[in-house]
Amino acid sequence: MPPFDIHAAFHRILADAQISAPLAAIFALTELIQNSDAGTMFELVKALNDGAEALTRQATNPISINAGCELFIAFVTLFPHDSANFTDLKKELIRQGQNYAAEALTYRKKIAELAFGFIKDGSVILTHSYSRVVMQTLLLAHKRKRISVFVTEARPRGLGIKTAEELTAAGVPSTVILDSAVAYVMDKVDFVLVGSEAVVESGGLVNAVGSNQIAIIARAANKPFYALAESYKFHRLFPLSQYDLPSHNSKILSFPRPLPVNLPSTINSLTKQPSSDSSTSDSSHPDPISPPRITQEQISENNPDVDYTRPDLISLVFSDVGSLTPEGVSQYLVGMFAG
Amino acid sequence: MPVPTIAEPAATATPKPQGQPAQKSMTKAERRELQEKQRAAKAALKGQPTQQKESSQGKQGGSSIAGQTKAKAPSTPSKKSFTGDIQGSKASTSKDLSGAPGEDMPPKQLSHGLRIFSHFGQPKPVGHTVKGDIHPAIIRLGLLYSDFKICGANARCIAMLTAFKQVIQDYTTPSHSTLSRHLMTHLSPQITHLVSARPMSVTMGNAIRELKLEISGIDIDVIEQDAKELLYTKIDNYIRDRIIIADEVIQELAGKKIKDGDVILTYAKSSVVEKVLLEAQEEGKKFSVIVVDSKPLLEGKVLLRSLTSGPNPIPCTYALLPALPSLLTQVTMVLVGAHALFSNGAVYSRAGTAMIAMMAKTNSVPVVVCCETYKFSDGVMVDGFTRNELAPLSVTQKITKLQDVKPTLNLDNLNPLYDLTPPTYITAVVTEVGLIPPSSISSIPLALGKASL
Repeated sequence: MPPFDIHAAFHRILADAQISAPLAAIFALTELIQNSDAGTMFELVKALNDGAEALTRQATNPISINAGCELFIAFVTLFPHDSANFTDLKKELIRQGQNYAAEALTYRKKIAELAFGFIKDGSVILTHSYSRVVMQTLLLAHKRKRISVFVTEARPRGLGIKTAEELTAAGVPSTVILDSAVAYVMDKVDFVLVGSEAVVESGGLVNAVGSNQIAIIARAANKPFYALAESYKFHRLFPLSQYDLPSHNSKILSFPRPLPVNLPSTINSLTKQPSSDSSTSDSSHPDPISPPRITQEQISENNPDVDYTRPDLISLVFSDVGSLTPEGVSQYLVGMFAG
Repeated sequence: MPVPTIAEPAATATPKPQGQPAQKSMTKAERRELQEKQRAAKAALKGQPTQQKESSQGKQGGSSIAGQTKAKAPSTPSKKSFTGDIQGSKASTSKDLSGAPGEDMPPKQLSHGLRIFSHFGQPKPVGHTVKGDIHPAIIRLGLLYSDFKICGANARCIAMLTAFKQVIQDYTTPSHSTLSRHLMTHLSPQITHLVSARPMSVTMGNAIRELKLEISGIDIDVIEQDAKELLYTKIDNYIRDRIIIADEVIQELAGKKIKDGDVILTYAKSSVVEKVLLEAQEEGKKFSVIVVDSKPLLEGKVLLRSLTSGPNPIPCTYALLPALPSLLTQVTMVLVGAHALFSNGAVYSRAGTAMIAMMAKTNSVPVVVCCETYKFSDGVMVDGFTRNELAPLSVTQKITKLQDVKPTLNLDNLNPLYDLTPPTYITAVVTEVGLIPPSSISSIPLALGKASL
């Protein structure tokens, strides 16, 4: 039997548009149990931990995968195993894992119904980037109420455009705004509704970059800031600052090596002149102070994918376990993992 | 130290007519013998304290605390003053005080200016009155407490539990009672004595509550020696699980938050913070520490010494509290210890901590408090004024050498030991169950599945 490739499994599961990263991680770990030849609980937990590590190491965004892995491993370790036969236990664990993941797919509906009560007729909603649970909520609200949606472009990935396209297709009036126009639009908005990568122990939120500034502007304008999060996104993590997130690395926000001020002509000829510049200026004469070209790739390389929103900026977190205040989220998390 | 032999003379020292249950700490045979003797010599005992009792007392107790007694009253021979204390006679106590004037001022004079602070723990003359049947280990501990030789919530709790082990060892259940019912009445005067030396800390209160629970839970059919062994194990486990291991977990969790290039600010001295910093340095992290300190105790000096004196010293800056604003701009994290944590998330810690936390908050520097869960209190505190403790003048004078600022009729010294940091100024509390926002502190006891902490 070839060794089980948790990565391939993870990506195969993630290909389903309805399944988010933490759920896919749970599915992948369940498959790992299926393929594991562990004979004892200790071996199994070790295999799971190794699998989880392999997943997070290669992932672009480790936070939400970690949330799913941790939840599942905690569940396995705390699972009452009184059965003498370990094979039976493994079967039971697989069944439970699949049951949970299947049930988890209904969470978005629950959350949409919870959040629905907070959406008034004629609401103007600001949302950020693309989130499946936000989409479901907005589409549910659209069925019974008149809503209009502003959605940020959410650079660098530009997922906000996808949100706007889907909403327009469903007949919801929606406009894409620039990330830098959030403060401009805030006074027209009734409340902010965002999804989440993970909800952390402080009660704060880890979400696509830009959420933090939206929350700050919403607070300054005294508008409610609501987050939607399935309970498998609750994560035992306590970031003290933006740079304390596991996704932060030395590349983010790093300064490029400054170019020497007086470029020797040999190097200058190697660095290609931007065509737009060369057309306006004298192309035959090499300009010694021409600015180096900055590409979109370079920008996104030096920028974070996610940011952390402090709990005091969040009004409510809607999840399948109820509408929680940020304090409620942290109490729930303490109870879930310390118990 | 002649601790085990002490029980008998200590009991003899307390005459029956004073209503003290003297026989508690003796074996049955000894007690019976003593009763006979006492009945015969009751009148004589009443009239004059026996010479033999006095001398024996001086010998056993004096040796263990001679150092402290000497430090307190160098003019008086240590043995003599101690025997005076043991007797608890008013004449000798006052004589002792007059022998060392200025060392400790009489409470009467102090209360003149500090009327509104009179509900704070009033600094008392160092353990001079010993009422009833107090175990020598406890007397010794009381002196160490009141002299601030043992200071800090963890150290005090561990020292108290260790002393209780000795007390339990020397305890014999009277024939008409059972250990589970009687031991606590034997321990309560010991606790009262410790509290009279220095107000009880929350940690001690929690430990005592746990001990009471264990004692009352002992089956009455268990043989006394077995019951004692059981209690030793329980006490040892409590120290190990709730303090030692908890500290190790906190070290690991808080250490993860220290990154290369960080500047950590800490205030005064906390044993946990010290361990966290040393451990992080041991792991090879490149960070520096700013130790902020303040009068009257200047505990930061001790921390500074231990951080810089090891084989692998940490780059440190030492500053007093007024220098805080200019230092805070370069700080990446504030790491402080706690004396106690209340269920509203407020942190009761060394006076000055609240100021640090508030300043850090305005500079948006994260404030992280290291605190074991056994320091949690069920109560709620809203300011540091409702409950506090005053640093005794003798201790503050010794440390700060402020001999000239002596209290007069129009001048009093006020040195509260603690203050309360409101939860809004705290980013996270590091406990052995994880990093927790102060708002969720109240859910910890429930999550741990404990009725009481």
